[in-house]
Amino acid sequence: MSELEVTKRPSIFKRKDVRLTAVLWVIFSILIGYIAGTVQARSMGAAASETMSTTINMMKIFTWVSAPIAGLVAALAATTLLSKLHFGDTPPAEADHEIRNSPRIAAAWIVVSALMCLFAVVWGMVVLQKDDAALLNPQSMNINVVGQQWVWNFDYIDSGKVRSNDLYLPVNKPVVFHVTSNDVIHSFWIVQMGIKIDANPAYVTETSVTPNKIGVFDVRCAELCGLLHAYMQTKVHVVSQADYDTWIQSQGGKI
Amino acid sequence: MTTVMEHPASAPGKPAAKQPLIEKLNIFTAFGLGIVMAILFWYLARTFLPENTEGSFIKTRLDAVTIIGMLGWFFGFMTGIGALIGPFRWLLGRDLNHDENMFYAGKDQGVKRYFRYTTDHKVVGIQYLVITIIIFFVGGTLAMLIRMNLGRSGGAWLQPQTYNAIVGTHGIVMIVGTIIMITGPFGNFIMPIMIGARDMAFPRLNALSFWLIVAAIPPMLSSFFFGGISTGWSAYAPLASQAPPGMDGYIMFIVIFAISTMVAGANITTTVVRMRAKGMTWNRTPIFIYGVVASVALALPVFPLFFLSQVMSAMDRALGSTFYDVRGGGSGWLYENLFWIMGHPEVYVILIPAVAALMEMAPVFTRRPLFSFNVAIMGIAGISGLSILVWAHHMYVTGWAPLLNGPFMLTTELISIPTGMLFLVLIGTLWRGRLWMTMPTASIYALLWNFMIGGITGIYLSDVPVDGALHGSMFVTAHFHYTLMGAGLTGALASLVFWFPKMTGRMFDKTASWVAFWLVQIGFNVAFMGMFFVGLAGQPRRVDAYAALFDQGNKITTMAAYTIMAGMLVLLYGVISSWTNGAIAPMNPWHAKTLDWTVPNPVPLENFDVLPVVTSDPYGYGKAQS
Repeated sequence: MSELEVTKRPSIFKRKDVRLTAVLWVIFSILIGYIAGTVQARSMGAAASETMSTTINMMKIFTWVSAPIAGLVAALAATTLLSKLHFGDTPPAEADHEIRNSPRIAAAWIVVSALMCLFAVVWGMVVLQKDDAALLNPQSMNINVVGQQWVWNFDYIDSGKVRSNDLYLPVNKPVVFHVTSNDVIHSFWIVQMGIKIDANPAYVTETSVTPNKIGVFDVRCAELCGLLHAYMQTKVHVVSQADYDTWIQSQGGKI
Repeated sequence: MTTVMEHPASAPGKPAAKQPLIEKLNIFTAFGLGIVMAILFWYLARTFLPENTEGSFIKTRLDAVTIIGMLGWFFGFMTGIGALIGPFRWLLGRDLNHDENMFYAGKDQGVKRYFRYTTDHKVVGIQYLVITIIIFFVGGTLAMLIRMNLGRSGGAWLQPQTYNAIVGTHGIVMIVGTIIMITGPFGNFIMPIMIGARDMAFPRLNALSFWLIVAAIPPMLSSFFFGGISTGWSAYAPLASQAPPGMDGYIMFIVIFAISTMVAGANITTTVVRMRAKGMTWNRTPIFIYGVVASVALALPVFPLFFLSQVMSAMDRALGSTFYDVRGGGSGWLYENLFWIMGHPEVYVILIPAVAALMEMAPVFTRRPLFSFNVAIMGIAGISGLSILVWAHHMYVTGWAPLLNGPFMLTTELISIPTGMLFLVLIGTLWRGRLWMTMPTASIYALLWNFMIGGITGIYLSDVPVDGALHGSMFVTAHFHYTLMGAGLTGALASLVFWFPKMTGRMFDKTASWVAFWLVQIGFNVAFMGMFFVGLAGQPRRVDAYAALFDQGNKITTMAAYTIMAGMLVLLYGVISSWTNGAIAPMNPWHAKTLDWTVPNPVPLENFDVLPVVTSDPYGYGKAQS
């Protein structure tokens, strides 16, 4: 955004309103970036997978990149607000100038927003590519997820005929979920791992994740699926490989 | 030739039998005939339709009966209001004569014309204003019920079925309300005057578009008695196929509303293209006109798809077809695509006129020209064009076409460029202006603030990996309320205060407008900030109960939502009290330079004695002109 100020004649910096805007710009950008960033980090909590860490990171960086834009808009608007307000039933005197356009500012504005857009797209594509590649990892274990009104069923197809309603995963092992539904559309969402994919009747969709933290996390349905949609949730137990093997055997599965 | 002038409707003592038909029809005959026909059609369908086939997975009888009954209502209502008189007379070769057209335009009828099939664009504008207020009242009440249910953890003093029905109805009612909130009242009342026309290009279509909306509302509200719209406003199949007959009310509502939108879109577009005053070149056409045209022109290609998606849904329910049913070779993804091809442009159908209205007000209240008129048009055109290429960003996580996620992420993020242009125009206009602080001026600030938040959170959601975490959560709900309500409704409320003097001849109560502004804006920001928090923390959308973790955020949102309600009630009080006994407005209270302020109050029939000739654009504020 620096073009906006720099490409103009140097004398512009001597103007009071421009200086005020510049100061406000810095203050607002930092405030917006800091507050929005902190709120996000606090609300989203700790990540339980690499995918979620990347997501949180991306949001943080998007926030810091957009903060100067939001800050500039806020600073420009605030500068006007801080000077010569007029209240009353009749209009104030008209402005002392008739600026109708400034091609340079418009061009700078458009170029900068295009660059930021490009940055967001390219980075998004890179991460997307990585997520897609993870689906093809031959080391992954496979779990079939079947949504039905209003429970989740998990079939551990690599371990024989094991089915559960709570999800058990070994830590640090990539897993691919093959997701489908028995009735209406559901959406399989592991909140703290940042993955989500719809469960469609008669189709199988896929998503993958590598849990990297031992603990209990939440599975929720993210697509309105009828009467008890709100209650269609369950837990993911991420455990050590040894505990996982014990659990699978206790369910009658093979390792 | 019998002319209407010899039979004025208001003349006392006239024997009713001698009244021509067009003078007898009004909203009461419409409702009467609509109800009679609904009952008749329903009864006939119930009597003659065959029973469901034993063993078939498709049960159609109940839905067929319901839909036929609602069609009966629709035909009855439209006949009863007089929508068919014109076409029939034309078919018979006896088109309406001048006096009958004058009667249709509502000449010398006082309040009665508001309850008739009146073609005067100003009457239609006021009718739209009233119906918008009614729609917002219904939708707002439902919103309060939602928030009441979510006000404490576990929520659930409403039954889940009731709660889902309330959420779905709130959604669709508000979507329709926001679609018509600017192009309806102000696009009809103000736009023709602003371009220096005597009326719309097709006045009868104008009346038709309004009465179609009135006809559409009862089927939708009746759904509450048939199990409700329990699918959310998006009504995805196959959930919608499972839903009770209340779903048929939704389908009829959308089908009729889509026709209304298409009719209005054709009418407004034609009016602006063909009927601008002499000398009003495209460079001298006010930006608000661009906003209105972009909005309705954008609706023209996409609403037929909405119409079609619901017709197919109705066929699945009532005729046993399987467009969306995998058991018969259909796909729910087909519905999702059809729905969102309409659903995303629709967001801009709502947003563009709101931003354009505030762009129209910005020069007036800063007393300087609109900054970068051309960039504003580029922004509006860019958004309109791109918006029909982004729909599948609503479908990143559906699994429909993972390979397309990248391209749709690209088009979606490209939209931030033309959107940024709109910001530049508003900011550039404010910069170094002399602010005349009124409620509309403050609304420009509120729009910048809210739309900035709505826009940036939109960039998060447009990113596929981030959407994987946030899709379907309250974060999304908060995001689109920031755009549709924070930006859209703010523009509409400012438009109301700004054009109220021209529409009613009275000034809007200043205190009421300010009190409402602050209550709504503060309440809104607190409410939906709270919703962002719980969304980030993982609360799904459309749930009637939630984990204890989300308690605090939901409590904050609920209390702030009541604040919004208080603000809207103050505004409603302001509308009623100002309309009945506000200060008499001068012809041009804001000293604005567009044509709409050059006509006297109340605006005479056909607006202008002599059609104006335009020699410059309406933004000539500033030193050069003074």
